[in-house]
Amino acid sequence: MTKAQQRPLIQEFRLLATPVVLFLLVFLGFPAIVNLIYSVSDVSFETLRQPELSGLKNFAAVWSDSAFWQASWFSFRFGLLTAVLECTLGLFLAIFLSPLIERRSWLMAILMLPLMVAPALVGLMYRLVLHEFVGPVPYYLWTYFGASLSFLGPGSAFWTLVVVETLQWTPFALLLFYMAYQAIPSEIAEASAMDGAKSHHRLWYIELPLMLPTIVVALLIRFIDGFRVFDNVYVLTGSGPGGSTASLSIYIYEAFFKQGAIGKAVAASVILFVVSFAVLYGLNFIASRRKGAIR
Amino acid sequence: MTLATMKRGALLAAGIAGLLASPALAEVTVLGWPGGPEEVALRAAADAYNAKSDVADKDKVELLFFNRDGFWDKLQADLAARSKAFDLNLLATYSIGRYAPFMEPVELSGEAKAVYGDSVLSTMQYEGKQYGVPTDLSLHFMYFRKDLVDALMKDDAAKTKYAEISEKHLGKKLEPKAPGEWTWDDYAATALYFTQAVNPDSPTRYGTVLQLKNLLFNVMIWQSVPRAYGANWMDDSGKITVNSDAYRKGLEIYKLLYDNGATPRDSLSYEFAEANAAFASGQVAAMLQWNAAAGDLTSKEKSPAVAEVTDTVAPPAGSEGRFTHIHGLGFGLNKNAENKEGAALFLKWLSSKEAALIYASNNGAPALTPEVVAEVADARPDLVKLGEFAGKYGYVMNGGTSAKALSVYELQAKEFTGYWSGQQSIDDALANTEKGMAELLK
Repeated sequence: MTKAQQRPLIQEFRLLATPVVLFLLVFLGFPAIVNLIYSVSDVSFETLRQPELSGLKNFAAVWSDSAFWQASWFSFRFGLLTAVLECTLGLFLAIFLSPLIERRSWLMAILMLPLMVAPALVGLMYRLVLHEFVGPVPYYLWTYFGASLSFLGPGSAFWTLVVVETLQWTPFALLLFYMAYQAIPSEIAEASAMDGAKSHHRLWYIELPLMLPTIVVALLIRFIDGFRVFDNVYVLTGSGPGGSTASLSIYIYEAFFKQGAIGKAVAASVILFVVSFAVLYGLNFIASRRKGAIR
Repeated sequence: MTLATMKRGALLAAGIAGLLASPALAEVTVLGWPGGPEEVALRAAADAYNAKSDVADKDKVELLFFNRDGFWDKLQADLAARSKAFDLNLLATYSIGRYAPFMEPVELSGEAKAVYGDSVLSTMQYEGKQYGVPTDLSLHFMYFRKDLVDALMKDDAAKTKYAEISEKHLGKKLEPKAPGEWTWDDYAATALYFTQAVNPDSPTRYGTVLQLKNLLFNVMIWQSVPRAYGANWMDDSGKITVNSDAYRKGLEIYKLLYDNGATPRDSLSYEFAEANAAFASGQVAAMLQWNAAAGDLTSKEKSPAVAEVTDTVAPPAGSEGRFTHIHGLGFGLNKNAENKEGAALFLKWLSSKEAALIYASNNGAPALTPEVVAEVADARPDLVKLGEFAGKYGYVMNGGTSAKALSVYELQAKEFTGYWSGQQSIDDALANTEKGMAELLK
């Protein structure tokens, strides 16, 4: 196709892309610019339209705030643990339940039900379920063992949150892995069976490598989701006990609304954005190099 | 598709668009405090107002509620965004300074002073201007199981055990007293005595239930402890005074109770509802709680296990006397209201005796003058106690109505729950609070 022939096409593409570009500029570009300005300004709810530039003071305040590092550590630990647990459980269930789901496809709809519940509602539900005086779990523990765990106490709140998150989001991993498992050509399984491969060898040397891209994507998605967790944690523990379950999202929210430190909150979100971008760019770079090496 | 069909379709679309764009029947939108007795009372008041023949359709009241969680933050965002979604909004004593820049002073009815009295009206004032109608007053009662306390006072063996427990944990031998005479040490000793982890013979699992979630309202409940020992946010010169023996005493009493299992281990995630559920289960002997819980905890339907044996007194005393935190909830005028005239009319009526009595008769908790409260005393005896306690023991900390008051409470909640949960030392908690408050209140 000559350049002259391409020109109308390019114009058409530009025209078609205009709404998306405008959408991104208005809904992402404008807030991003405002955020950048606020992050280097003294600003309050009364002066949202007249922020005063204050240099890097907000970034210094965030950097020297131990609560920021505590929240970062919580988010990282929570994101990593829940991602690994959800993907391990999801993978096991996808492979283990695959023959059953193939015959009874409606089972998948039931298994997906936890995904339909809003995370804030999940938090609220477990607040009731785990309450010592009204919740069924402590009730049965007291009835049969004469004592109950302190599910939201200082030593166990983190693990309770991990379990709650894992219970809700394992079905998501299960769904991805089940689809990937089903996509493996049956000829491969038949050929390996004819060659005498046992089922665990088939799983380890054939099926898991073929599912690896899906596993990586699932881990990444679940890590990002766990890292930015807010709703269920906030409803369940309110960032306590003593700030020990404050995620980065909660840290930013509390700095913004509860302390009224808008500049500091926005500076923290800018740091989070830069770090996230660097990590994702790095991962993308590694993945593309591996892809090149395989070719 | 024929031309006639297209025309009919266009007509229908225009009709729907017209309907959507037309003004709603109710023109004054009131943003209320959801999910509690305040909502019930406001609904009754709004219904009564809308039923009045002299209220024009364009001035009728419509109510708007969103969740309690994060209510003040959402309101802050709405007001800062110049929202016109509501004409009147909820206001609290501790948030007036924060929201005043986005609100307008209001004019009350001529009866307001006689209905509420000056001190209650002042809970809705900021920099000398009236910003709202004080519809509800909140303070704290000490709820206790009178059956358990009476039995303790009559039993000599129990008294001996009580003295042993108080000596071991508080360093002094104490005798059981009637709750109306309690000091905070008596409260702590009683809470420990009625805790099975401390006294295996206790009829209740826990002596008390503390609300230790990182939440500003929980600090309001707790701060009557240090206040009883002379605590204040700052002195008259503006110097922050939280790093004091009084604050230390208050923090240590709660820590002692938590560490000894006198309150559920999960108390660190407890707030109003969780504490009520614990007390209503019959497994708790006493608790400091908002007056708003009185209705539920003394209702046979809602709290069958404790309704008939629950009584209330003012919070215990310290070396400086007996105190209860007070604050008012009320309604004020949004600066960006679309129907300011209609909203002003409703506010004027809401501050009248007629409205106050309707509000009081429908679960509301207005602090009324003795003459007015006498008219509802049979149905609402708790309102008599409310007015009495507010007058005798009510206090507001220095700086408690400032623009940063909410942030101060948030800061204290974060730092003090950090100490109670063992995340930091009492010295760090007090030092961090002092530093943060100096920054906020400078």
